[in-house]
Formats: sequence, C-alpha cells, structure tokens
Amino acid sequence: MDCEKVRDRFSPLWEKELSPFDEKIIKEHLSSCPECQKEFKQFEKTMQWLHSVGDVEVPDGFLPGLYKKMEERKEIISAEKSGKRWLSLPLPLKLPVQAAAMVAVIFLVLYLTKMMPMRGYHPKEIGQPSSPLSLEKKPEEVSAPTGVKRERGNLKIAARTARPKDVEQAETAAPRKEEAPSSSREVTKYQAFDLKEAGRGKAPSSEEPEKIEKGPYAQEKLALASKPTQEIVLKISDREKAISEIYKLARQFGGEIIATEGDKCLASLPSGSFPQFEKELARLSSSTEADRTIMRKPATGSARSRQEVKKEVVEGKAKEPATLATHEESRIIVRILLVQD
Amino acid sequence: MKTSPRIQREVIESCKAGDPRAFAEMVLQSQKKVFNIAYRMLGNSEEAKDVAQEVFVSVFNSIKDLREEIKFDSWLTQITLNHCRNRWKYLKRRHYFNSDSLDDPAETEDGDVPRAIYDPSDNPETLYEKKMIQELVQRGLQKLKEDQRELLVLRDLQGFSYEEMGELLGLPEGTIKSKLHRARMDLKQVLEKFAH
Repeated sequence: MDCEKVRDRFSPLWEKELSPFDEKIIKEHLSSCPECQKEFKQFEKTMQWLHSVGDVEVPDGFLPGLYKKMEERKEIISAEKSGKRWLSLPLPLKLPVQAAAMVAVIFLVLYLTKMMPMRGYHPKEIGQPSSPLSLEKKPEEVSAPTGVKRERGNLKIAARTARPKDVEQAETAAPRKEEAPSSSREVTKYQAFDLKEAGRGKAPSSEEPEKIEKGPYAQEKLALASKPTQEIVLKISDREKAISEIYKLARQFGGEIIATEGDKCLASLPSGSFPQFEKELARLSSSTEADRTIMRKPATGSARSRQEVKKEVVEGKAKEPATLATHEESRIIVRILLVQD
Repeated sequence: MKTSPRIQREVIESCKAGDPRAFAEMVLQSQKKVFNIAYRMLGNSEEAKDVAQEVFVSVFNSIKDLREEIKFDSWLTQITLNHCRNRWKYLKRRHYFNSDSLDDPAETEDGDVPRAIYDPSDNPETLYEKKMIQELVQRGLQKLKEDQRELLVLRDLQGFSYEEMGELLGLPEGTIKSKLHRARMDLKQVLEKFAH
C-alpha cells in the first residue's frame, strides 16, 4: 500500500473503524515508513487537541437578552401590521421607490399638460364669442371646454358643407400649416375656435366633403375664411320678403346666406362682388340712403383678437401671412341686421 | 451529542402550545449547545451570543410548525447552522475576518492571549495550558473552509454521529467521512503552519 492511501485512512484508523485486516496492513506500513509515521503522530496530536476543546459557558444575561430581543421583534411586527412598515424600511430600499414615484408624478403632470393645453389659457388669451350674430356677448362668457367641443362639432359641419373653393383653400393651407412650429399651430387653432359659429352657419352645399377631412388645419382655415367682416343695417317693411330678396341677391353675386337668426342674417360673398351686393341691398331698404349703415371695420372684439393673434402668427412664421391674407380676402362675411321700418 | 440533554417531549409540546415557562426551560436546556456551535463556527463570543439569541427567536416563531417533536434536536441544530452561515457571510462581506493574522493575539472568553506554538512532539499537558490549546484550535478552525469547520465542530467538538450529520447536512455518510478526514488533515496543516 502506498503512502497516500495510508494517509487517507488516518481518520478511520484513529476512530478504530477499520477492519482488522486493513488495520494490520496500515500499521505495518507505518512501522516501515518514518514519513507516514510522523504524519500519523501529528494527526493524532491534532485530534487530541481537537477533542480536548471543551464547551465554553454561555455569557451572563443570555435569557433576559433573548426576551428583550423578542420584545423588539414584536414591536417591529406590530408596526408592520399597523402600516408603519414603510417607516421602518432601510433607506437604500426607500430611496429608489421614492425616486421612481417622483419620476412617475413628473411624467403624469407633463402628460396631462401636453394633452390638454387649451384648457389652461385659451379662453383668457383669445376672446371667444358664442355667436358672431350676437355681438354684445362677451367672449369670457363661453367656457373653454364646451367651446372647444362645440367648435369641433361645428367644424365637422363646415367640412361637410364647404364649397369647393373653400375646400381648395383649406387644402392648400393645410400642408403649409403643418410645417409651422407647434406654437404657431396652436395659436391658429385657437383662431379657429373663435370662429366656430361662422363655421356652423355654412350652407349645406358641399360637393367634396372628403377633401376637407384631411386635417383640422384645413377646417380651421375654412372657418377663418368665413369670418364676419362687414355689417349692414337694413331698414325693411316686410321681413320675409326682405330675407328672400337677400337670399336671391346672395346667390346672384356668387355668395350664400349661411345663417339667419331673427332679424339677423349672415352672408358669405366673394370679396369682388361685395360692392354690387351692397348696392343691390340698399335698394331693398325702405328708408333713405342716409339710414343705411355699413360698418367696414371689423364687427366684433373677437375679430380684433383674431387679427392680433394672426399678427402673432405672422411674426412667428414668415410663410403664414400670405396664405392667411389670401383666404381672408377671397370671401367676405356680411352681417345684415334687419330693422323694421 | 455531548453538550445538552435531550429536550423532553412534553417541554416541546408545551412550547408549541405557547407556554412561556416551557420555552424558558427549553432555552436553558439548549442554550449551551447552540451557543457553543455558534462560538466555534464564528470564533467570537459576542457574535455567538447574538446568533444564539436569534436562533431561539426563530425557534419561538416557528416551533408551532415542528411536526416531529422527536427531531427537535436536529431541527434546532439546523436552525443554528443556518444562522451561523448567514452571520459568517455577513461578517465576511464586512471584512470582519481580514484583520485576523496569525500574529494577532487570539480572542478568548477572558480576553486576548498570545499565540501558542504548535509542536506535536511536545506534551501539551506540560507545555501549554489547556485553554491555550483551545484557542489555538479555534484559530485553526477559523482558517478552514466553512463546510470543513462545520464538520469538525459537529463531529469532533459536539460529538454528532455520522448518521445525524448526514441528516443535518443532507450528505451520505461516506461523503461526510471523506470530507471530515480532509478537514482534519487541513487543520493539521494549519496548526503546523502556526509553528513555523
């Protein structure tokens, strides 16, 4: 038997677990090999030392210390049950959770402000009359969310009922507007909100409604093009007859009546035919020439606001003004007030 | 096992029923064994005391789940070994054992003592105090791997049978015997190095 195998059996030899035959072989080897004999002596000494190690006494106050520890655990468990677990958590665990919560809140706030920008400042910045026919109504009276909703509905009506020319204008305007930075686009959008009632009054004569559906900017342009710019006070004796005459005149000059409400009438006309239309309209009046009033200035405060806003757009982007001006000049909205003679 | 008497079955049952006096009795009967295993495994009296108390807290919380009262001793030893392993890792992470040099004085229950010289040719009874030998062995144990130390503590210091050890460590007896022999030979080598 070689030395390595003998040394591997030191433990069973020392514990007397070897068979008598094996024990005899190993002892013979040990007696003949001084190296293994020395190794076994050292092994025996180690085992003696190991087995000489006695138990140490338990330190004083072991049991009271144990009870104290158990009390502390009970308090921690009761704190956890009563919802104070968060406070007892270690700082390295709390910090990442707090940071994540803060980031989530920031994202939520950004998301909400991005999603609903008009709710924040639109009604205060830009006047918003509920109807261009009733000039007396203050813009502030209309709340922004309802105004926006109504506006969107009106724009859809306008889109369905727009004339081809308007639609073309809107279409040409739309792609250019999409190039504009988001800030100027928003301002233009608010202009459209101002003009919602005008859009609502569009006559149902659309030929290409699908064209106008191309984007909200086209709808906005359409509404912008049909804003009221002129006001005529017409003294009449027979209201029904006067209104039918106005309808005829409007059609005759390539325009249309987009809304009638009581003694008010809103007409859309090509700008070129407006002087003729005005002359013909004067003939309908039952009063003298002096009684006819034509207001060539913008009719409403909101219109002025629109112009101011438009000015902002012009300042903001050089491409925009030409487009807007073209649309504004192509059609004139005339508000006709019928006064009983 | 040479340290603690077997805990009576009635005491265990009373502990399971939540009797505080039975729990105190159980602690008094088992604390020496638990503390000594912890002390030999960790080599520090304060750490061993803390770990032993943690062991009994765990016992108190989970004794109701103990199904076989007859296996209480091995269950308790298992809990003790688990706590010792966790504490060893914890201390190792904090480099608790790094400062331990062979030239450093070994810690004893009574304080620090100078390093003993290992000389197997001499008679330990005449050359060294028994306490000094114990500390030398303790220092030697600290130099071994954790699983080797476990085997030596259970078999040579606590007197566990190979069968009990196999049950505790989940190893076959043959494996335990061969590993234990390797651990003893390594300890012998460590103690020899102490002499040089």
